[in-house]
Amino acid sequence: MDFSLTDEQELLVDSVNEFADRYFDEEKINAWYDQHGLPESVSRAYLDAGFGYMGIPEEYGGVPCDKVTLGVLTEAVGHATGAVMPFLNNTLAMVDMLDMGNEDQVKMCLDAYEHTGHPIFSLGFSEPAAGSDNAAMTSVTREQADGSFILSGQKTWVTEGEKLPYCLIVAKEEDPDRKNRDMTMWLVPMNLDGIKTAPLVKIGQTIMPFCELYLDNVKLTPDMLVGERKAGFMNMMKNFEMERALIVAQGLGMAQAAMDDAAAYATERITFGMPIARQEMIMYHLTEMEAKLQNTRSLLYKVLWMMDQGKSTQMESALLKYYGAKACTEVASDALQIYAGLGYTTETRLGRIWKDLRGNQIAGGTDEIMVYICGRQLAKRYARK
Amino acid sequence: MEVLVSLKIVPDDQDIQTTADGKLDFSIAKPVISSYDQNAIEAAAQIEGANVSAITVGPASINDTKQRKNILARGPKQLFMVADDTFQDADANVTAKAIVAGAQKAGNFDLIVFGAGSADTYAQQVGIQVGELLGWPVVNGVSKITAGEGSITVERTTETEVQTIDVPLPAVVAVTSDIVEPRIPSMRDILKAGKLPVTEWTAADLGSDTTKAIDIIETVAPAPADRKREVFDASVDGDIDKFAAALAEALR
Repeated sequence: MDFSLTDEQELLVDSVNEFADRYFDEEKINAWYDQHGLPESVSRAYLDAGFGYMGIPEEYGGVPCDKVTLGVLTEAVGHATGAVMPFLNNTLAMVDMLDMGNEDQVKMCLDAYEHTGHPIFSLGFSEPAAGSDNAAMTSVTREQADGSFILSGQKTWVTEGEKLPYCLIVAKEEDPDRKNRDMTMWLVPMNLDGIKTAPLVKIGQTIMPFCELYLDNVKLTPDMLVGERKAGFMNMMKNFEMERALIVAQGLGMAQAAMDDAAAYATERITFGMPIARQEMIMYHLTEMEAKLQNTRSLLYKVLWMMDQGKSTQMESALLKYYGAKACTEVASDALQIYAGLGYTTETRLGRIWKDLRGNQIAGGTDEIMVYICGRQLAKRYARK
Repeated sequence: MEVLVSLKIVPDDQDIQTTADGKLDFSIAKPVISSYDQNAIEAAAQIEGANVSAITVGPASINDTKQRKNILARGPKQLFMVADDTFQDADANVTAKAIVAGAQKAGNFDLIVFGAGSADTYAQQVGIQVGELLGWPVVNGVSKITAGEGSITVERTTETEVQTIDVPLPAVVAVTSDIVEPRIPSMRDILKAGKLPVTEWTAADLGSDTTKAIDIIETVAPAPADRKREVFDASVDGDIDKFAAALAEALR
């Protein structure tokens, strides 16, 4: 069993580190968090450096890249920046559109992506009453005699919804009732009549703000349809497993950055006449942290490997998200604890990393939903035949 | 224009350690492209109309698959590698003779490009000696290269002026580290690199003169200095002057 990275993957990590060295520092990152966004020049540079083409199918100009390598890229960016960057979301959104969009939609989105380094659409899936329970969504379209559709409802946690000119919205057809699972996807221009947004303020991951979206009798036309009618739910779920893995990859990189800081500090900080690294409780923290980092890493790459092999990862991707998101938050929390008073200030980045990672226990599927997915699968898997 | 860029692969200086008896320990220092040579590779790759090859000479340890791909991901279309322990701790003269032999074996080059100096010894000698051995014009301190017809025009930045020099080819140049920022190899570049040709030669294949011009007797780290522990108090009259005087004495 070969656990090593290939030369190519190692060179990729070197390139990511070099990229981060040139474009990022704590001052810039904190400023971008305050400003709620990266300068376009940076997302362009990410694309020009080739990273933004990884994970995109070759026929659309993408670089051939297996899922393990995509994981390596994502972890490396998280580690090198110690921050949440929009890149993984950008790539996933583009993959969705390339998968499901028609020729015109694909061309429009790809052109924009090549220009700016980010997609031109946000994702409108969750609602105030329908996050984990997405079958409870009540946004609904009603087909009209002239072939148009009237869309009404509300979406929330729409990342970059206030900034981007389009929104990929999932809505039920005709009947908002829970029992109706006929959902359709639409690429909706944000300048249509009846669309309003309202900002929400996150406590972490603030470089990517999200918002509420109000849809009041918005007139949609058939050219806005994405994928097959009534197949929206399945389409939405398709890339969920990859998203879970990449969220963990990013979080792992950031947790590792927190560990790098805290473990080094523990060897330098002197109390009671010696480095705190010699105190047993600190040794305990460092051991727990390292175990969580290595476990998360092993499980992450195993799951990505399984995906590359075409194996089903319905249970494993949920297991990874469940374990990894929480483990990384705990690593960051322990890292902050090692810095003690200093860790509780903005003089170090541990607080930012901890707040960011806390969000990953919710984003991309909550811990509780992951347990629900695993639990059902485990019962099936272990039942005696 | 056929361009050859000469680069050195050195142990990563971040991981060089000192042992208790002052000797250097390279055991965890992985081979890397000498940093200023990255600028040289990029400068060569950016010359208009250049077809770039790379050459490197060193001990057997430089033959590292990752570094081979690293070099080929940065512009050169092929690599000539002489990884032979005959070249362990080779002085500039031995290295220069080997590069001359390698360049002549590899093809007919119009221009050979060197970095400002190696990341480990920084003797800044090899490029100049290569030019001298070949009998070609050599210009160092080059901060800009423009391709011409059978010639190049270079800018050479000194402390007081920028010289513009027309150099007939074939020639040798040594470039400054600020001539151009090296590219960040993209995944595409990295994947292609694995398919580009590498020609390996031994010292015997080159047949160059490996007689040392310099004999290394010993390499030791400097002994750590004892701390002086002289304390000055800014609030005491005259102490600032004493501090300045002590500092000046120490610097002398």
